[in-house]
Amino acid sequence: MHNIRRSFTRLPFIRKQTTWNCKTFATTSSSSSSDNEEIKIPNRIKRSPTDLLKALSQTVGYDPTAPHYKFHDDPFLIPTSNIAKRTFALAQESGRKSAKWIRQENWKLFQHTEMDPPIEAFVPTKIYTEESEVEVKDLESLIAAADVTDAALVYQLLQKNKIEIPAEVMQSFFELICFFNNEEQLDEDLVEERWFRMSAKLNERPRKTWKDYDLAEQIFSEIDPKDSKAYSTIIRGMCKYYQAEKAYAFFNEALANNIALDVETFNSILSVVSFLREGYEARWDLMRELLITMKSANLNPNQGTLNSCLSSITTMGGRTSRDNALKILGEFKRIGIQPSLASWYYILQIFCRERGPVSHVLIDIMNEIEGKEFEIKDLKDCHFFVTAMDVCRNHLHDKNLAKRVDALLHHGDNYNLIGDSYKESVYYRNFFLLLLSTEPFEIFMDTYHYLVPNVYIPEPVVMEEILKSIEVSGSIETIPLIWSHMILFDHTTRENLLNMITKIMIENKPNPSLPRQENLVQSFGDIAYDIWKKIEEKNEMRTKQMIWTARLLSDILTLICRIEDFEKATEIFDKIIGSQDEILGDAEITSMQNYVQVCILKKQPEKAVQCLQFCTEIGFPESKDMAKTICSGFTLDENLLKKVAYLAGEDVLNDNIIS
Amino acid sequence: MSLIRALQPSLISPQIRLISSTCVLNKNQSGRYKVTPKKDRPLTYEQSNPPHQIGHRKAWNSWNVANLKKEKPGVHQREPQMITEDFFIRKFMTATFHGIVCSEVIIKRQFNLIRVAFIMSRQLPPRKMYFLIGYTEELLSYWLQCPVTLEINTVADKRDVIYKYI
Repeated sequence: MHNIRRSFTRLPFIRKQTTWNCKTFATTSSSSSSDNEEIKIPNRIKRSPTDLLKALSQTVGYDPTAPHYKFHDDPFLIPTSNIAKRTFALAQESGRKSAKWIRQENWKLFQHTEMDPPIEAFVPTKIYTEESEVEVKDLESLIAAADVTDAALVYQLLQKNKIEIPAEVMQSFFELICFFNNEEQLDEDLVEERWFRMSAKLNERPRKTWKDYDLAEQIFSEIDPKDSKAYSTIIRGMCKYYQAEKAYAFFNEALANNIALDVETFNSILSVVSFLREGYEARWDLMRELLITMKSANLNPNQGTLNSCLSSITTMGGRTSRDNALKILGEFKRIGIQPSLASWYYILQIFCRERGPVSHVLIDIMNEIEGKEFEIKDLKDCHFFVTAMDVCRNHLHDKNLAKRVDALLHHGDNYNLIGDSYKESVYYRNFFLLLLSTEPFEIFMDTYHYLVPNVYIPEPVVMEEILKSIEVSGSIETIPLIWSHMILFDHTTRENLLNMITKIMIENKPNPSLPRQENLVQSFGDIAYDIWKKIEEKNEMRTKQMIWTARLLSDILTLICRIEDFEKATEIFDKIIGSQDEILGDAEITSMQNYVQVCILKKQPEKAVQCLQFCTEIGFPESKDMAKTICSGFTLDENLLKKVAYLAGEDVLNDNIIS
Repeated sequence: MSLIRALQPSLISPQIRLISSTCVLNKNQSGRYKVTPKKDRPLTYEQSNPPHQIGHRKAWNSWNVANLKKEKPGVHQREPQMITEDFFIRKFMTATFHGIVCSEVIIKRQFNLIRVAFIMSRQLPPRKMYFLIGYTEELLSYWLQCPVTLEINTVADKRDVIYKYI
């Protein structure tokens, strides 16, 4: 208390002093600068509404120790397996969708206005039926909202009511129909559905999906006179959905009628060259021809032209494709057009073919683009990283390059270009498998701890490789961790993984004298018992049962015998002898011998003799030795002695007495 | 009854004043819980502290600036509206997450954002919880016309939130 009072009394003095300091500072600084320097007020920098948010988000780094922020930060609600990640995110989005449905169904109730200024996303969208009274304005707003189905309906209603549609509205409606191929699109705010949607296989050949003789072509035939915009729209729409033949026919028609087409239209024709001509030479000739036509039409090519050309070259095999790609790339560089990530993706496709010669083009690409930030310019930009990692692993087998690719992915906002969940997991799968085969296991584990489980959860294939390299490197002290992760990631139903992990535990007997492996025997036993429990529980619950193999059971028995736990071992032993008809194969003698040892240790002669009986029934040649061990380990009573004699022969008892 | 009887004479003739001998009726009783004879009424920490402990041992259940003491009533005064909205949100939560809300529903407003926090028991599988979370966030934001986020914590057992029995 005393101290506080004293500090209060001092306060005014301090304040005085500071003001005085400020004053002196102000006078000195003004005297030196007021002579010649004028204060220049910088021009106002125009900011977008989200700039402040972006600046704020830059202050927060990337944190792989936390789950993705779409999940709720609660132990119960954090997903731990790939399937859980998917279901949780999609369940939440499905909840959103049902809320939206309720709002649409009860649109009359949601007509209040709390917000100021009004936000369109919160109010129900207008519902159109065959009977609705519509105006041109409705069509305009639907086009702006990119609502294809409703726009088509309103268009038909307008036609029915003989309401004139202005030419520019008509054109934008036509563009909408051509762009979306008259199909309803997935809502833009359904991010999760987009993220988890099974994307097309990476290298699948596209096929025609354009709707022939549908609304788009009908509108096109009605437009009169057909201007360059109409032609461009229909050609670009057809090319987008690979109706190449018709598009090319319209293209030629436009050229013949001296209708000027824009660059984008040329680009889309260039991207479907492979559909128009068979044979590499013919395709290349057509491309050249198209480019020359562009030149004669005084059109300047752009990045899209480069990407379309390269994408067509990917469909041309042969030795010339590499030269042609380089020629194109060089020419575009000369006129100052920067390639986007999609261009580099095509280059990788052209140079690193599966059965082609090895190419180090990725190294050159990385030298070119390392440390740069990218924004999406082309749809295929998202294919670059996954392809680059694939090349690193399968083509070049180069871990340093893979690390450079990974560094580029995590630079700036480049992670936005990873694509979707499928591409992301393929990317990390390749990355992990490459590191596993090239790095020492301990160093690999650093990456593992960094990325698992919040960024990436290894698939069973990757887990198998991890187990393999544990076996090779002998770092069995990671087994308990890997096992707990296997439980988390829901891999415990995979028979091959279970067999492998037990095999490793059996073959690498831990050495308790080493400090790192001190408690391993115990934890191996626990893991083995865990495996047993997991499978038994599953078999009780599920209709699809996992069939026990005798090998797995004996391995589990051996591991439990190593920790000398009689009760648990007996549980498994009872299973082995009790349900022989459910078990594939015969139990192994070593596990039986181990079990007898435990029986001796815990003084359980009945079980030991039961074990002996089982072994003689199967007909192991080692059963005699086992009988001897039993006789020497216990002092058996009359009944059991008789039984042993009956099972293994009288001589066993005699030997024992003599010795 | 006693109150009416006490008032009646005063209404008839204002000169007469009577002394009421019954116990006072304006007793403070909201937010206070009576002790049961068997002492088996479970209370959460929040419930076990009466309202005068707000700001000392516990905090407010609604956080917004409309209900501050010297907030001037104006054209856009939203206090009454906010109270009904909060009431609505609380009803909505207990009905949507039926039987698993085991704490008070805390409603925090910042700018145009409403954050709703509460504790749930883990009676539903997480998949269903996520569905309800998505549904609640979206529907409430349509109704209140501003972004709504849920901040949920779960407890394994409902008894985990019980502070004492009275």
